[in-house]
Amino acid sequence: MAILSVEQAVSVKLPTALLEHAANQQAIFVPSGTIREVIDALEERFPGMRFHLCLEVGELRPFVNIFLNGVNIRYLQGLDTPAPAGASLLIVPSVAGG
Amino acid sequence: MSTRSTPLSETSATTPTAPDRSSRYSRQTLFAGIGPAGQERLTRARVLIVGCGALGTNLANLLARAGVGYLRIADRDFVEENNLQRQTLFEEDDATKGMPKAVAAARRIGHINSQVTVDAHTTDVTAENIEDLLDGADLALDGTDNFETRYLLNDACLKMNIPWIYSGVIASYGVSMPILPHETACLRCVFPTRPLPGTTPTCDTAGVLNGIVSVVTGMTATEAIKLLVGATDRLARGMTWIDLWENTHERLELPRMDDCPACGRGEYAYLDAALDENGVSLCGRNAVQVRPQQAMRGSELDLAALAERLAPVGEVASNGFLLRLRVDGYEVMIFPDARAIIKGTDDPAVARTVYARYVGA
Repeated sequence: MAILSVEQAVSVKLPTALLEHAANQQAIFVPSGTIREVIDALEERFPGMRFHLCLEVGELRPFVNIFLNGVNIRYLQGLDTPAPAGASLLIVPSVAGG
Repeated sequence: MSTRSTPLSETSATTPTAPDRSSRYSRQTLFAGIGPAGQERLTRARVLIVGCGALGTNLANLLARAGVGYLRIADRDFVEENNLQRQTLFEEDDATKGMPKAVAAARRIGHINSQVTVDAHTTDVTAENIEDLLDGADLALDGTDNFETRYLLNDACLKMNIPWIYSGVIASYGVSMPILPHETACLRCVFPTRPLPGTTPTCDTAGVLNGIVSVVTGMTATEAIKLLVGATDRLARGMTWIDLWENTHERLELPRMDDCPACGRGEYAYLDAALDENGVSLCGRNAVQVRPQQAMRGSELDLAALAERLAPVGEVASNGFLLRLRVDGYEVMIFPDARAIIKGTDDPAVARTVYARYVGA
């Protein structure tokens, strides 16, 4: 993979629960694109990651939320939302414990 | 700290011989956001706490010490030794005796603040009883460890127009999210569908640090106080997400979804759903809760008579609130409402069989 500059990349922040599937990297930089393409890039780097984020049909799991610059992509265009260079994505699963 | 310091609140200055409530709460009435008027509101407030584990005990502790006048606490479980690391109202003796959590919490709060009325319910919170539990509450706090109850609470609070606060903790992270019915995003605006049991990590599978429990309940209790004193303009709207291990803190915007089935269209699917006739639910690791069949619901077991009947088959102990039967490698905790928690299996069919054999069909 070509080396990305921070300006060209989208930063993806993973929750603690997924760090073990991403070689413990909390912040990952991938090329800009739609959220679907970002997830494809994550899957390419960390095989199996898509399973934790998406259902078999490819849609986001209902208890997983992705925030693009602080706004839930469900309120934008879902997985088709463009994540431009410099954007930050935060993946937030629902938290069950108590 | 000096014990001779003079409380500065207005009430104490004008009524020095009155019961010294103002002195007791002086450190929070001095805070301009609360003041004596806010304290009076707290004294009159009624709060339901659903679930009394890590979140529930810490929330109850903070609200009782803050002088919230009435706490209704509902929990289905009993105290175990592995709770003591984070469930701050419980002691070793409660675990040894297997005390119901709601009862043990009420007792402890009675020693912490005798001015608080605690209404303890040892019960499963279901679609059948949640509206009764919410009746008269100004606010509900989520102390549950599962989404089954949270989605139910979301539906019931929307229907009854009662604010509630979602809290959740796991491992080193947690969330707090106040929900004002029909004004802010509700749980289903954010997470449209309830995760199936077993599909998300729980404290039983991923563990939990006691520090994140303190942080999340500290935030939630403060949001609760803001709501109860009427400081809604100060509310942390949206979801606050904190990870103490990774040192992250995020405030996430969560606008309401107009087409949300619950708060948008008024469809309360979880509240309207009939109770699972099977009546069996996973209850942490290696334990299953069995509810009585429909015909037995609402009846009260005679625990003394049951203890006598079970004595020949296994080791029976009673603490006055529930029976503990040890038999065939299982530990069966039997509650007066004919529920039982069966430890020693993850298999609902096995649990149902054990229940039928010793408690009843």
